[in-house]
Amino acid sequence: MSAPSDNMPIPAQAIHSKPLLVRHLPYFIGAAILVVLAANMNFDGYVHNILLQATTFAIAVFGLSVVLGLCGQINLAQAAFFGLGAYAVGIGTTDLQVSFWLCLIGGCVISLLAGALLGASTLRLGGHYLAMVTISFQQIVTLVMINAIWLTHGPDGVSNIRRPDLFQSSQSYLAFCVAMLAIVGYLVWHLSDTKLGRAMRAVRDNELAAGVNGIDVFRTKIYAFALCALLGGLAGGLFAGGFAYVSPDQFSFAESIVFLTMSLLGGVASPIGSAIGTGLLILIPEWLRFLKSVPGLYLAIYGLFVILIIRFMPDGIWGFVADAFTRWRAKIKTPPASAALQLKPATVGGDIVLEVTGLSKYFGGLKAVDGVDIAVKRGGVHALIGPNGSGKTTTLNVLSGLYVATAGKIVLDGTDITHMPPHQRTASGLGRTFQNIRLFRSMTALENVEIGAERPGNTMVGKGDDALTERAMEALTFVGLGSRANELISSFSYGHQRLIEIARALASNPTLLLLDEPAAGLNSTEKLELHELLKRIAAQGLTILIIDHDMTLVSEAAQHITVLNFGRRIADGESMAVLRHPDVVSAYLGSE
Amino acid sequence: MRLTRRDFAAGIAAGIAAPYLIKSANAQGATIKIGMCAPVTGPAAESGGYAIKGAKLALEAVNKAGGILGKQGELIVEDDQTTNPGIVLAFSKLASQPDIVGFLGSIRSTQVHAMAPDVIKLGKPVMIGGTDPNLTHMGNQWLFRFRPNDSYSGRVIAEYGVSTLGKKKWAVLHSTDAFGTAGGKALTGALEKLGAPSVLDQGYANQSQDFTPVVLAIKQSGADILGSYFTFENDLGIFARQLRQLGVNIPWVGSPSIVNITALKLAGPALYNTYGVADYAEDSSEGSKAFGKIYRDAVKVAPDNQSSWTFDAINVLSAAINKAGSTDPAKIREAILATKKFAGAEGEYNFDQNGDGLHGYNIVKNEKGNIVFDKHIEFND
Amino acid sequence: MDLALQLLFTGIGIGAVYALVALGFVLIFRATNVVNFAQGEFSMVAAYLMVVAVEAGLPYWAAFIVALLGMALLGVVFNLGVYYPLRHRTYLPVIIATIGASILLANSVLAIYGPQPQVLEGWFETPGIQVGPVYLDSQYLLIIGVTICLVIFNFWFFEKTLLGKKLQATSQDKEMASLLGISVSTMIMITFIYSAVLGGLAGILVAPVLFVSIQMGSTIALKAFAATIIGGFGDVTGAIIGGLALGVIETFGAAYISVPYKDGFAFLVLIAFLIFRPQGIFGERVAEKA
Repeated sequence: MSAPSDNMPIPAQAIHSKPLLVRHLPYFIGAAILVVLAANMNFDGYVHNILLQATTFAIAVFGLSVVLGLCGQINLAQAAFFGLGAYAVGIGTTDLQVSFWLCLIGGCVISLLAGALLGASTLRLGGHYLAMVTISFQQIVTLVMINAIWLTHGPDGVSNIRRPDLFQSSQSYLAFCVAMLAIVGYLVWHLSDTKLGRAMRAVRDNELAAGVNGIDVFRTKIYAFALCALLGGLAGGLFAGGFAYVSPDQFSFAESIVFLTMSLLGGVASPIGSAIGTGLLILIPEWLRFLKSVPGLYLAIYGLFVILIIRFMPDGIWGFVADAFTRWRAKIKTPPASAALQLKPATVGGDIVLEVTGLSKYFGGLKAVDGVDIAVKRGGVHALIGPNGSGKTTTLNVLSGLYVATAGKIVLDGTDITHMPPHQRTASGLGRTFQNIRLFRSMTALENVEIGAERPGNTMVGKGDDALTERAMEALTFVGLGSRANELISSFSYGHQRLIEIARALASNPTLLLLDEPAAGLNSTEKLELHELLKRIAAQGLTILIIDHDMTLVSEAAQHITVLNFGRRIADGESMAVLRHPDVVSAYLGSE
Repeated sequence: MRLTRRDFAAGIAAGIAAPYLIKSANAQGATIKIGMCAPVTGPAAESGGYAIKGAKLALEAVNKAGGILGKQGELIVEDDQTTNPGIVLAFSKLASQPDIVGFLGSIRSTQVHAMAPDVIKLGKPVMIGGTDPNLTHMGNQWLFRFRPNDSYSGRVIAEYGVSTLGKKKWAVLHSTDAFGTAGGKALTGALEKLGAPSVLDQGYANQSQDFTPVVLAIKQSGADILGSYFTFENDLGIFARQLRQLGVNIPWVGSPSIVNITALKLAGPALYNTYGVADYAEDSSEGSKAFGKIYRDAVKVAPDNQSSWTFDAINVLSAAINKAGSTDPAKIREAILATKKFAGAEGEYNFDQNGDGLHGYNIVKNEKGNIVFDKHIEFND
Repeated sequence: MDLALQLLFTGIGIGAVYALVALGFVLIFRATNVVNFAQGEFSMVAAYLMVVAVEAGLPYWAAFIVALLGMALLGVVFNLGVYYPLRHRTYLPVIIATIGASILLANSVLAIYGPQPQVLEGWFETPGIQVGPVYLDSQYLLIIGVTICLVIFNFWFFEKTLLGKKLQATSQDKEMASLLGISVSTMIMITFIYSAVLGGLAGILVAPVLFVSIQMGSTIALKAFAATIIGGFGDVTGAIIGGLALGVIETFGAAYISVPYKDGFAFLVLIAFLIFRPQGIFGERVAEKA
């Protein structure tokens, strides 16, 4: 069973028609109005402090929306990065007498480097390890802030922190922070539609699928993590300038949890959600002060809310709203028609597209695959079959690079890919689908296929986003789902999801297409459709290696069959001959 | 019960709207308002509760005796969550109410540091209990201190240990937070002046689970007396037990937390025969005894410095407003600074121009769990 | 030398506490692939239950049973309220929900019982014994003893009993386990109950030494967490060794390097492990299943 990923919907990408700046003009006008308001409204000190806190915190939470929302990695040390930025400005403008701007940039750089280093050391491990390392980092930063008195003034904190001369008054400084918030918000908002942003979303939704679709998972994670740290540092620097005083307890682990909750409450996937969450979590405690007559009651309710939000609003408040909107919009919008899909598999090597020699994969003492040879001829459909536990899927995973081969050699179209990581194999022309569908669930069908089309070295797609979209539309139309391109994956049936997965592989114009049990879980009509689709693909000259135990599909679609049992090849050759081979019959039906 | 997403969304909406309704329901009265920032939540929530009770008791008495400028005094408490950002928000919330004439700040020095810039901006008197000496020496004329500052506690500990107990080889132990660091510095400084520099100056992080390395360091240093600044009672309790278990029985003079009731309960016999400096000691003066009686009757626990300083702060502030005959901040300030020989629960207040009201400490002894007043040491500089 | 022996004893004692809490972490992680950030609060809640039961006049042993039964109930509620509804989602929402649960538990206790730290008497009348140059705290001796017993019990339980084997099967391959007729949700429920009871046991044992306070759980849990990673996530023996190692490293680090940075040693060791030996002392290399 595949782990279903959490849907964190992002509005479907619009089909670009007007220039970007014109379409986003309302955003800038809105932002400008807010900045002017901040500069001119006369707030009392309390409201001013709350606004300043909310503004600076929101920038830090934007960072989390990148790392957690876009890339799906946890960061429990955002307060530490926030603190690095704050102390850079604090110590810089007081003890070192450096200009505010230099300190702010310095703080950002320090946070960025710390984030990148931390990420580089552990992002390969992911998950719980990342959670733990970020907590450790957080604790160590706090300890240093408290104990390195010569540098940080220890628990007394740094006071009399200066602001830039340009924004000396509280009012103008607030306006400046709001402007920064608007700019950062715009960038983060726009990030999800860039190549890097799409890569991050792909990594979040399904690391394996992202890897085999040509994304360098590790590097994408580091970028996301460093970016998050950078925004934390920036926010901290602005915070320090605003409040003129920083001390270690403002940047503790508890604050990191607050940042995380802000991000979750509003909706982790979008900057709007971050802003909503930050605003609410700063305001709600203020509103609920009356609850505080019983110590702990307020925080207990807060903890309960965290659980309930995760349970009932996994996408946060904004996600909840945006989700409804997306579904509504997808229904009324019909995507444009597109040209027919062209598949032009590369033909560098000779007659054999994929040559596997002596391939072995051992797990400890278990020989899952043991010295298997496979030669897949160019054009047509080649099937790899075998009973359960025969090593089929292991072979496929070794081929696509998810497992490292214990021994043997894999040559794809003349290139030795034995030691390449998954994303490089994809770049070399290997496309695949999974037995358990691995789509990026929070994206639309079109966006999923765009990720495939983005494969480095894809010669069938021109420059620019429009060309990508066009290519993806062609692929979707090819599998018969062009009219539903802008719908979210979750609204498709299982069979259609399989087709989208195939379209995603096709859009990348692979040299060889690996299909892992494509018929699994399909009903008989869907199986017929699949069979038709395979024929049309093969007609375009693309070679298919199919792994399945559905004998009907295999015997009708494949011209050539390789049979595995107990990790060894027991038969290989033309379909009908192989299926009548006595070893194959006994392997399937059991010998006497 | 089945809770759907929609119900949950409606619940959130109602929750967000509720405070407005409650707020608008609160009617305003014709009272003299005093704002107070206190830790209602967070690690210091317990002492925060005592502080609020102390202030309320004082205000009740003031109101019975005719009130402030003929009106009833009203205390408005905001939770500072025991954090620095918390107190900044709590204070700015109080500060935005123009009819509040004076404030009670925090007993924690870092919190006072955090709120200090806003205090200057507002320009109204704020009573504080934080004992970092710098607070009243950094040009902020609106802070008035109702506890003796740490330069005095350090000097009193040193003076008592060296002169009265006759010990010269000191081990100094302090927490590494603002309070502990400042206190440790004051103590080592005072010891040097008395010609008995410390043989061990050891910091520890709050919420340590084990003090064995610290105790062994004290043992090895050959110290014959221990001076300590502990912030949290459970640290103090763990340390005291391990100190006794590992056989260290040298005299021990500690900062006020050593005679705090929670510490006495936690550490039990491990703290017998130790000395503490206490700004509040029940038997030190008539004013202290009087407060002790009122507090015991009302709250049913033994009084301590958490409640005594807020009690005094309300009394001095009310008297100053009455004397000034106005709620004008500058006039209140003058009246507070002019307060001399005012008998409070903590001792006799003689405000200096920095805003420090008290200039000495009591030394008390733990005799089988009972805190007994030993002597008062007062400085004139 | 005397000094080192005394430090070693304390280090092992405090390390045994980490190990007990770490054990709870590991069991839940193996069964559900989720790190339970509220594990420390289990210890705290149990200690408070114990205080309440003793104050209500129950004899110590009865209070102990009541507290552990309470913990079993908490395990059930925790599973049904926090883990079970999210079991089909990724680890991230579950981690965050357990963080929420930890805030909820800590502050509910604060709301009900107030912020005053409480005293819980130890099992023994005598506080400790002097053996040569080393003072052995009786409560620490008890903790070390219980840890040893639990290691043996766990070995017997998981290797020799049918229920233990079923639990192991569930933690290794849920689908296969359910094909074999094991009720996966029952096994997970049992795991949560067992972990809550273990966490509670740690809390009750350590309460006489560290006092009963709201914060007692979270401080220990962070260290215990580090211990599980050092030991190799998912490995019971590793968690015990990791906990003991951490206690000793910390105590010696404090004695010979720096007292204020004591808490930093645990995390430095942890980061070093994550970079150079992420599989921990005993664990196998982590790899996501395809």
